[in-house]
Amino acid sequence: MAKGLDIGTMNIICSEREEEDVIFTQQRNAFLELESSDLTKTMLDSSKVLYIEKDGKIFVLGEEAFKFATIFGKDARRPMRFGIISPSEKDAIPMIKLIVERVLGEPNNRSEVLCISTPADPIDLDMNTLYHKKIMEAVAKRMTYETHVIDEGLGVIYSELSDYDFTGLGISVGAGLTNVTLAYLATPVMSFSIGRGGDWIDEQVSITTGLPKDHVCATKERGFRLGLEVELGSSEGALSIYYDALMTYVIKNLNRKLAEITPPKVEFPVALAGGSVMPDGFLKMFERKLREAKLKIDISNIKRAKEPLYSVARGCLIAARTHEGEEMEEGIIVESAV
Amino acid sequence: MDDNTSSPGVLHRGAFVYYVGSVIFVVGIALLAAGAAFVMILRIHYGSEPTKILLTLISMGVGATLILTGINMMMRQARYGYCVVGVSAIISLLALYIFASNYPHNWYYPIISYVLALYITGFLMLVGNAFANTILWMIAGKSEAVVKGEGEKTKIYTDEEIEREIEEATRKSIELSTSELKFKEPSVGEVRLGKVFRETRGNTTRVKDDIEEAKSLRKAINSGERMRFGSEEVESISRNLGEILRGEAVEKGRFGEIKDKIKGKVKKIFSFNRVKRNR
Repeated sequence: MAKGLDIGTMNIICSEREEEDVIFTQQRNAFLELESSDLTKTMLDSSKVLYIEKDGKIFVLGEEAFKFATIFGKDARRPMRFGIISPSEKDAIPMIKLIVERVLGEPNNRSEVLCISTPADPIDLDMNTLYHKKIMEAVAKRMTYETHVIDEGLGVIYSELSDYDFTGLGISVGAGLTNVTLAYLATPVMSFSIGRGGDWIDEQVSITTGLPKDHVCATKERGFRLGLEVELGSSEGALSIYYDALMTYVIKNLNRKLAEITPPKVEFPVALAGGSVMPDGFLKMFERKLREAKLKIDISNIKRAKEPLYSVARGCLIAARTHEGEEMEEGIIVESAV
Repeated sequence: MDDNTSSPGVLHRGAFVYYVGSVIFVVGIALLAAGAAFVMILRIHYGSEPTKILLTLISMGVGATLILTGINMMMRQARYGYCVVGVSAIISLLALYIFASNYPHNWYYPIISYVLALYITGFLMLVGNAFANTILWMIAGKSEAVVKGEGEKTKIYTDEEIEREIEEATRKSIELSTSELKFKEPSVGEVRLGKVFRETRGNTTRVKDDIEEAKSLRKAINSGERMRFGSEEVESISRNLGEILRGEAVEKGRFGEIKDKIKGKVKKIFSFNRVKRNR
């Protein structure tokens, strides 16, 4: 058995194989602090809410943190920002550790192979992802998983571009970052991230329209459709404007990075994944912009992942199963040699 | 012809100078040959007519001077080399002019000694300059060979590439140093988990999927190599791949170059077809 784990700014998703199916276990990467009382605890237990009690405080974890935040008029706290552990959140590591442990569950056997996704270093932010990567690796290793790490963009390529011999451009538009990887025959040629994603859209829309961020996020996730015609003054209109700005920014940076490398002379398919590509019309708008941009590589076709939210986790599972196969093979060779 | 006007070395020469030098050399040869021919045709001897002697000696004298001047011009020159060549040639030709103007009526000592001394001075300066430059060229050639030998492995990096190299080396060393780290569980005090914590792991979605891609991925990755993941690997892989693709620019033996080109083309066509077929 092997598992894949996508540790995103908004969601932590575990993928594993069970018989003929793949099971995705998902939890929101957020928490909310409440005052502890017996009444609150009873209420949370009866409502089957995920929480912990620490230092006389109650921390509601996951999806419910957002719901309670709306009820209590508070902001849910986020352990991650810009795709990595938030430096401004003092409880980030213990909270993220709890969520990861819960989503992952105990390993089925000692040294079960686990592949986790991490963002590539951003090109427009003064930060690197090493600390985040090492902490996540350590958390998983402590659970006795045989842990491997891949870039998010590469996860998209493994998941969506197997028909093209794992050649193409994998773009994961997450909440904190947009990750981009260009691979040729499963070998990454270029990998980077951009410090803008779904959260940036929410923030900008919230600033310009005066609506709360959570409300904007809810509008975005509730069947919002991206189109060229928008209603003046509506939150949907503002969302369309900032989606358009995000796409332009991503494509501009992609072209800039492509100028630094010598990519193979083949046509590259493009796969889009991540929670922020889910609105209807995203693919059409992105395709139009990408074709107009005249990239330094030839683009064949552009597709959106069948399950954009689970694409990276699925890619991680594919990588984990590949590792598992290699290790099993090595085991057989060692055994036969003995 | 090696045109190295921009060479940072000791010796320099322009292409134009080389061609002018060649012409002067050929003219010199022709004049010397003509002079030698006059000796035989006109049967020059002690009592020959002064005009015949003058014609023969001037031809041979100018011819010898032009040959040496041409050789010097074809050679790469050190600083002031061309000035030395010019002055030497002028001295020799001046000696011949004085000879032509004084022979036979004023051709007596000490004029003969002065003219001979002037011509020999110019002649020897040309020979000496050529010799000195040959020695310098040989020394420079050896040092160039040494530099070239070392240069086969040396690549000129841009500032950006150097920065990336440093960054990568730093990152690798950090990776290596942290890979030995063991993380201790922080003391977070007493944590009590809610009831639901042990019941479910989260929202689950079941999708019918056989994950056949794992097999394809194993096939796609070279059997002899380990899988390469992570952004820190990407830069170096990208650079290696770039270097492979820029293979044409790398100096290679003729045979190796042709072989690599054919190999690369076959690989490209093969991989391109595979990508297209699978579409």
